[in-house]
Amino acid sequence: MSVCRARSLSLFGIDALPVEVEVDVSAGLPGFSIVGLPDAAVQEARERVRVAISNSGFKFPTRKVIVNLAPANLRKEGAAFDLPIALAILAVSGVVPVEALAGAGVVGELSLDGGLRGVRGALSMAEGARREGLARLILPEGNAPEAAAIGGVEVYGVRTLRETVDLLGGRADARRVEPASDGRHAPVAEDFADVAGQRYAKRALEVAAAGGHNLLLSGPPGSGKTMLARRLPGILPPLTVEESIEVTKVHSAAGEGNGALVNERPFRAPHHTISTSGLAGGGSNPRPGEVSLAHHGVLFLDELPEFSRMTLEVLRQPLEDGRVTISRVAATLTYPARVTLVCSMNPCPCGYAGDSRRICRCSEAQISRYQGRISGPLLDRIDLFVHVPRLTREELRGVKSAEPSEAIRERVMRSRAVQTERQGTPNSALAGRLLREVCALRGDGEALFSRAIDRMGLSGRGHDRVLRVARTVADLRGEREIAVEHIAEALNYRRSRFFDC
Amino acid sequence: MTAEERTAYLFLALLQARVGSSVLSRLGDVPLAEILAMPPAELAERARMAQSALGILEGLRRDFYPAVVYSRLSEEGVGVLTPVDAGYPERLREIPDPPPALFVKGRLPDEGMVALVGSRKASATGIEAARTLGRALGERGVCVVSGLALGVDAAAHEGALEAGGPTVGVLGCGIDVVYPRINRSLFEGVRRNGAIVSEYYLGEAPLAWRFPARNRIIAGLCDAVVVVEAPHKSGALITGGHALESGRDVWAVPGLFMAAECRGSNKLLADGASVLWDIQEFVDAYSSGVVEGATDHPSLDAAPVPAELPPAERAVLSGVGFEPTEVDEVAGRSGVEMHELLPALALLELKGYLGRDFSGSYVRRVAP
Repeated sequence: MSVCRARSLSLFGIDALPVEVEVDVSAGLPGFSIVGLPDAAVQEARERVRVAISNSGFKFPTRKVIVNLAPANLRKEGAAFDLPIALAILAVSGVVPVEALAGAGVVGELSLDGGLRGVRGALSMAEGARREGLARLILPEGNAPEAAAIGGVEVYGVRTLRETVDLLGGRADARRVEPASDGRHAPVAEDFADVAGQRYAKRALEVAAAGGHNLLLSGPPGSGKTMLARRLPGILPPLTVEESIEVTKVHSAAGEGNGALVNERPFRAPHHTISTSGLAGGGSNPRPGEVSLAHHGVLFLDELPEFSRMTLEVLRQPLEDGRVTISRVAATLTYPARVTLVCSMNPCPCGYAGDSRRICRCSEAQISRYQGRISGPLLDRIDLFVHVPRLTREELRGVKSAEPSEAIRERVMRSRAVQTERQGTPNSALAGRLLREVCALRGDGEALFSRAIDRMGLSGRGHDRVLRVARTVADLRGEREIAVEHIAEALNYRRSRFFDC
Repeated sequence: MTAEERTAYLFLALLQARVGSSVLSRLGDVPLAEILAMPPAELAERARMAQSALGILEGLRRDFYPAVVYSRLSEEGVGVLTPVDAGYPERLREIPDPPPALFVKGRLPDEGMVALVGSRKASATGIEAARTLGRALGERGVCVVSGLALGVDAAAHEGALEAGGPTVGVLGCGIDVVYPRINRSLFEGVRRNGAIVSEYYLGEAPLAWRFPARNRIIAGLCDAVVVVEAPHKSGALITGGHALESGRDVWAVPGLFMAAECRGSNKLLADGASVLWDIQEFVDAYSSGVVEGATDHPSLDAAPVPAELPPAERAVLSGVGFEPTEVDEVAGRSGVEMHELLPALALLELKGYLGRDFSGSYVRRVAP
């Protein structure tokens, strides 16, 4: 038989699609060509595969070799097809049994000496293999533990081409990798117990965590905005298994996986010089951006006004729909991106407006220009606005121990459970009719709120924000009805005058 | 003869705006009517002008066509008052360096004006004080004069407008220039309810040195100048200085001890300015008789922390200072837990006992 097949997988977004590698060896002038929409890296597989086969002690056919990657309309990228191509060629020569290749998915990049290098997206590949009904998945050793985490498919980690041939020929002991033991609920590294002061900001973070609200922290340099934001993942509910897998898939697709399931909520703090595709994802060889790497976790934008407006524009879709769509000539990719957004900024260019101990040197015009740099639509997605004052010396010394994150997380989880049961989403997603239904006010609350609207000049959006946050405050207290004190607390977190202009 | 003198004054106004120092006060015995005929070099010498000023003078003389200037002014709806005009404010003639011409949009009241001046970056308390004073004066028909800048100036004009009283804004830039631009609608309100005046011709830019110079006009127009809140080295203190030179009353609103925002105005008090501690006493001094419908400002005999408030709110209120206080600081001072403190703060704000500044700090308000 002159045509042999190997099954492989190709990463598309964060999902793996099946790719069939067909090899035909026929009489004619010796040659080696690859068809089926391969990119440059796949084309170069010709050299790697030829040399790796020879260096592993096998013979590369001195005939006409044609490789077809099917389906032909899907663009193939990267070097992960090296191993299946090599195996299919060896199957034609009879070195590898054809039937052994039939039930196995194979991915891996070859080096010239026949060794194997890791690939991106191992977890997604394993998921794809399971979906395609493949019994086994063979991939480079370093990727195996991650792939094994998903279960439902036998995962084999291999180090060289030779070892793979032996494995398929039944001459080697199967090096099957079992799912790593579950390391969930690791103790929180950055704990609120270490933060003595900042009780106001801590309360706001608790509310943000409980309702899934986005948050903006403003305050002078050195007031601990970053320190506070870093502690937010620790009070969010732990990742569920499904969430864990999704997060791992994204990280693996970006080549950031460490070989195990991610079991802590991600915290991503991209620098403000980040490009649009760095934030949203993309590039000629697409990878998830920071907003997707923060999926199910916290995206922290430090010094928000320093980010380019164009860059921040791309956050509108993920903040609205929880995913990023990247359109390219060949295809449209979607990465998940459900994040809690935390932004920080100085109140003015010098950083000291509103500081009781230092005088701000900025003119009114400078301040409003600085604050005006932030796009309105982005601000509209933020429910809580909190000023973080500079710490006093006693607070910096931090002798007193505060409430640990674990205790706050308990309250957050209880309140999330209430929300899921009531409306199926966190309170931050409440809008329109559902918002009015779930946040109905009565008697005193309604009267207070009307007065607040008049006196504080709340806009329509500001009005909705206060209601959503009041709902979360009530949920934190375990109350069914939104009472006066819940609205009153929510009013503290409203946008201050400065942001309205 | 008057028409020629008027044109000469107009020319001097344009010249002063370029030269940057008073030419009028150094003219000595040069007859006004001859200014436009005199060779520039001779005028420069007799008015002891600097060498650089001579070039400006020559250029200006070359391009000065009175008919064009007058027609452009009337196109823009701008009136012009010079010392030879009957409408030139009497008060302004008394000051050491009166402007040679005053461009006016709107209607300038004859007399009975009080200036409210202060820092552009005043505290919430200062802004509140300026607005209250502007309103109190406005209700009694006393014209409020200020500089149409941000902060205290804007609040003073707004207070007067809220009360429907007359108000005058004195600019440090061309009469048709809106600076700062954010005050655009305030400019319009002031023009409709009173007047906008400037000694600078159409289109002159808001250069830094023009603002201290315009302060002498603010002081000159008024019977009294009130410095509401001014830090050390503030333009408002310059206005106060001009007022003293011209023999006007100078008042200052006492500010918080130690607060940087109030050091200038407090120093003015230490130097002998009248203490504006009671609004009633102050407005009585500058308005004639009782005015129907005006708000009374009786001395506040109420207890500092009102007894009718619930205990938690009372505790919170006493933890907030008259200077902006961060929420965490209120928590520390009052000992109230955060989940009780935050509702109490918002309720006190709604009841009018507290104000909140842009950074989210709270501040005590005097009159709920």
